[in-house]
Amino acid sequence: MIKPKPFKAVGLMKELMDKYYLEGEMSQKKGIPVAWVTAVFPVEIIYAAGLFPYYPENFGAIAGARKVADKLSMVAEAKGYTHDLCGYARCGIGDAYADEHPVGKIIKPDLLFCCNTQCGSLPKWFEVAGRFYDAPFFLLDAPQIDDEIDELCERYFTLQLKELISFLEEFTGRPFDYDRLKEVLRLSGEACRLWNEVLDSAALSPAPFNYFDACIHMAPIVTWRGTEEAVTYYRVLKEEINERIKEGISAIPDEHYKIYFDHIPLWPKLRWFSSYFAQHKALVAVSQYTHSWAYSFDLNRPIESLVENYAGEYVNHCFDYRVQLKIDFMKKYGCDGFVLFSNRSCKPNALGLYDKRKIISEATGLPGVVFEADMSDLRFFSESQVRAELDPFFEQLSFG
Amino acid sequence: MNKAEIIGYAQRVAEEPGPYVQQWKEEKNVKMIGFLLTDVPEELIHAAGFLPYGITGGHSRLSLADVHLQTWACSFVRSSLALALDGKLDFLDGLIIPQTCDTTRMVLGIWQHASPLPFLQNFRMPRQVERPSARHFLIGEMARLKASLEDFSGSEIPEEKLRESIKLYNRNRILLRRLYAFHAKCPGVLNAKELYTLIRASMFIPREKLNKLLSSLLKIIEKGMQPAAEDRIRLIISGTLLEPLDILDYLEEGGAVVVGDDFKNGLRYINDDADENSMPLEALVDRQLKRMPFAAYDTVRNKRRFFLAKMAQEKEADGVILLHLKYCEPENFDYYDNIKTLREAGLPAMRIETEFGTTSLGQMRTRVQAFLEMLGGEFYD
Ligand code: SF4
Ligand code: SF4
Repeated sequence: MIKPKPFKAVGLMKELMDKYYLEGEMSQKKGIPVAWVTAVFPVEIIYAAGLFPYYPENFGAIAGARKVADKLSMVAEAKGYTHDLCGYARCGIGDAYADEHPVGKIIKPDLLFCCNTQCGSLPKWFEVAGRFYDAPFFLLDAPQIDDEIDELCERYFTLQLKELISFLEEFTGRPFDYDRLKEVLRLSGEACRLWNEVLDSAALSPAPFNYFDACIHMAPIVTWRGTEEAVTYYRVLKEEINERIKEGISAIPDEHYKIYFDHIPLWPKLRWFSSYFAQHKALVAVSQYTHSWAYSFDLNRPIESLVENYAGEYVNHCFDYRVQLKIDFMKKYGCDGFVLFSNRSCKPNALGLYDKRKIISEATGLPGVVFEADMSDLRFFSESQVRAELDPFFEQLSFG
Repeated sequence: MNKAEIIGYAQRVAEEPGPYVQQWKEEKNVKMIGFLLTDVPEELIHAAGFLPYGITGGHSRLSLADVHLQTWACSFVRSSLALALDGKLDFLDGLIIPQTCDTTRMVLGIWQHASPLPFLQNFRMPRQVERPSARHFLIGEMARLKASLEDFSGSEIPEEKLRESIKLYNRNRILLRRLYAFHAKCPGVLNAKELYTLIRASMFIPREKLNKLLSSLLKIIEKGMQPAAEDRIRLIISGTLLEPLDILDYLEEGGAVVVGDDFKNGLRYINDDADENSMPLEALVDRQLKRMPFAAYDTVRNKRRFFLAKMAQEKEADGVILLHLKYCEPENFDYYDNIKTLREAGLPAMRIETEFGTTSLGQMRTRVQAFLEMLGGEFYD
């Protein structure tokens, strides 16, 4: 197994993540309500309202990475939730009913917020959780858009943000603090900017940083986005990357190819994949997943800006737009091929990949492959099958 | 036509719509716009001068879809796409896909590449329906869909025409609901399979023609009305789609009568009318907003579980069978709460998993029999 040199910043990240969970647990004691939010939710509004945002998807990813997703899932399955559902939802629901909590207990929400830009599973899961924990649930509805966000959606999303703010005002009993919102947006935008600079370093040859690093270092952009902590973290990480560039330390020992990877990683097999690609001299340079947090806000138009960024998130776009997005990433990062992960947990990202593979190869001439597994549940992972799917791709790459 | 002829006709249309559709298209010289079930406002399609066609899924050659769609996408969408790939929907000039879940959200783009059509549109329904923004959005979305149909037909839809279409569809739903109620009373005269076949066929047959058929059928059977055998077990069946229809035979063998359901190809299709006195577009919007709850539509409070319990009480049902279409996530997420609410209301309930094309009928029959036996039914086989 090829072991990459760990980043020093990992220490700081662990500290930050411990602090995040501690704050979550302390919040309720301190009288700060805990709000469940989804990864692509305008969390800036939640911070501005003075609540603590908690990301249950992150809980699912951790359960996956610690290889216990199947155990938690089985608790949910015993209640009638089948193993065909999104793994994050199964872990979350499973933990709610479980007697044992192998990755700690999911934090109980005082209220729940979901934006369905990403998928239809999150709102259903949160709806279930809202009933289980007996907490109010607010859904921010983002209809699918074509290339550009249309006026209709823009208006709808804006109206809903106003409904959201009224909902929060009523819940907290305080008027909404628009100045605080601007400050949070500034911090959020700054962290996103730094994060994307970090990601861009994977375009260098050889690259000091790759997709698997990004999967580890993305935790703060998800959970701390909108705070000083996230900004500080990505400054530190960026500096370390600059040092690595100077010292000539690369992410993998012998980089021959750059690969585009779609989409989420297989959390319990992160190391395995990282090593497998490295053995094939392939640096995974980019994935639209890690690029999801690329928000930039205009502080003079806070609400409009939130609409553009969140309702217009790429996952909410039509088929052709998303094909083009992948192609653009491949060009930008100088990719030699692409690997698409047909993740049974995640229909909004997996369905359509068979056709996309064909269309992208035809358009770019690059070799590509689709492989099947689940992002968190090892019951749906077969090493021999994945090898059988990926090995021929690498052969093609080396002949190509 | 007599009763057997009308039902026979509906059966033949439901089984092999292709030749009939071809004939209607030629007779009327119109284009045909398909839609996936069923929240699409057919009145708009009709008023734009097209024939609406509800794609109800298929039972064979599902594997044709495998190069485009993973086998763990729901078999309704897989089999519908397979129909298109198999040339069974060649008569369609367009398609509207209501966005009910991640599968429908993704399949539009796939369809466009796998089986291109000159007219292909999403119908984006709001997923929260209680806040004012939902109605606001839906009015805009309905207008957008209308404009896209006008664009395709090359002429505007006059308000009067839309009003007429609304009346026609309301009339159709009223007739179908009368049949539905008739079945619940006299299942011996109109059995469940016949009833649901009529509902299915109504997704294909042009409304003008259909309403005549249904009216004559009602006239014939209402004359021969005879009270139901009192010992029938009264059942509610619930789920996304009623599939396969064979289950209805097993229910009747076991001495049960279907008194209510909430399927997209059942009562949910015909339950709610549009107000004929409002502005037509808004009438369609309000109809959509107040429709029978469905797992993928109002995803905030799961009103459906109470709706089901209430329906069961109102219809004096003895039990509820939940037909769960495999891989339908919205449905699956609600299952636990639905069954819990039903049982708390004192209603025996069971779940059966189904799939287009591959449901194991033998096993299903055994489970249905066991459930009905528990409810106190008799068997006649
Ligand atoms: S993995 Fe996919 S389906 Fe699951 S929560 Fe994330 S976006 Fe939704
Ligand atoms: S709502 Fe369920 S049955 Fe309908 S298309 Fe989606 S997954 Fe399939």
